[in-house]
Amino acid sequence: MADKSELVNNIEMPEGMNPEVLRHIMYPENYGKLESPDGTGVAMDDKTGEFVIFTLKLGKESIEDIKFATNGCQDTVVVGSMFTEMVKGESVEYAKKAIAKIEAKLGGLSPQQKICADMVFNAFIAALINVSNLAQGKKEEMHVIKSEESCEIPTPQGEEK
Amino acid sequence: MNKLYQVKHELWLDILFASFAINDTIIKDRLYDFAMINFRHMKWLGEAILADGNDYNYDRAKMLLKRECTFDVFTYLIEEIKKAQSEYIESVLTARILTDESYLVEYLTSLLNDSKNNEKITAFNMHRTLPGKKLDTTQTDSLTIFLFEESYKEYELILVYAYMQARTDNLLHFNVFQDLIDESHFHLKSFGNMMAQMGILALPRELHELTYKVTDIEKFVVNGIKEEENAKEECRALAEAVNDTELSQFFDFINFQENYHIELMKRLLPH
Repeated sequence: MADKSELVNNIEMPEGMNPEVLRHIMYPENYGKLESPDGTGVAMDDKTGEFVIFTLKLGKESIEDIKFATNGCQDTVVVGSMFTEMVKGESVEYAKKAIAKIEAKLGGLSPQQKICADMVFNAFIAALINVSNLAQGKKEEMHVIKSEESCEIPTPQGEEK
Repeated sequence: MNKLYQVKHELWLDILFASFAINDTIIKDRLYDFAMINFRHMKWLGEAILADGNDYNYDRAKMLLKRECTFDVFTYLIEEIKKAQSEYIESVLTARILTDESYLVEYLTSLLNDSKNNEKITAFNMHRTLPGKKLDTTQTDSLTIFLFEESYKEYELILVYAYMQARTDNLLHFNVFQDLIDESHFHLKSFGNMMAQMGILALPRELHELTYKVTDIEKFVVNGIKEEENAKEECRALAEAVNDTELSQFFDFINFQENYHIELMKRLLPH
């Protein structure tokens, strides 16, 4: 399998869309699921059925491996991909601050993108809670955090849904 | 989980995305037909697995298909078909699959025998333009996002409906799922070919089992209808944004198809 970075390197990127964003859309990093993870966390939006799921393996001082999956929009994919790329191999404390770094990197997030980023971050936190619950001997396949806001496309004015 | 099912799933995507990547319309159409045959293989294989009391999932190991020229694509497909065949266990179904695949290998081999069939692949060159269309940066970005968003959604819908279809005893549901699968195949084909024309062809991401293991069909349908409404809105907004008669007509056409999908989905709700 080709290295994903090779797919967009050496290509003259068109104007407009941030090339890094396009790379994360086309070839999301750390996408999928880990076998036998230390923790599994889900952020679930019951209103729309959208979810983000994280599986992670923790080392002594760092996140050894991490994967995510979602049925959500491309914004969720981009943030999830960027987030996992940033935090893999880093400490949990670093990871907890990573979303703010992504926001800065993307030059701010729209309200809809902010909801997507929250879903990603909540799923990560849910996975950490799952790790902690399992360590305390609780039986929990995955920890679920319900989302309070939905990443829905606003209805145009004057049109009923 | 069933390895053979995964292999056939990956082979379906290989052939399907090869058809999108090829510019020659005769070869493109032929490969698309073979991809659809392969999808039916998947369906029959899934039924056989369930009938044996086993199960399958939609896990994938392969992620991308990117080749420089058509001969590389044809050679790759032949290799993948042969690899898949090493997984088959003798049965009436695999006998059928083998004859279909042998015919495809013969066809691909015949293409390799004529150097005129070796053309440059442009589906991955990221130029993000459409032949004969003048779209500005914002329009191009909107179209790009739309195509990635919707090609994933159509792939997801095909697999989710197929998963549910394989597990229902309700004839009405079975038929509704079939109609929705057929519709999504057409949409995926339309979007996939457009992505290839724009040089941004990429495989949709893998489905997590939370997506297709549906425990509450009513909730699934209600959410699905909301998603169709969102897709309609995306199409309407894009038709308005692209400011090109031909493209706007196409996205309006897709938008109106979503209306009927909603009606079909309502038939899945308990009366």
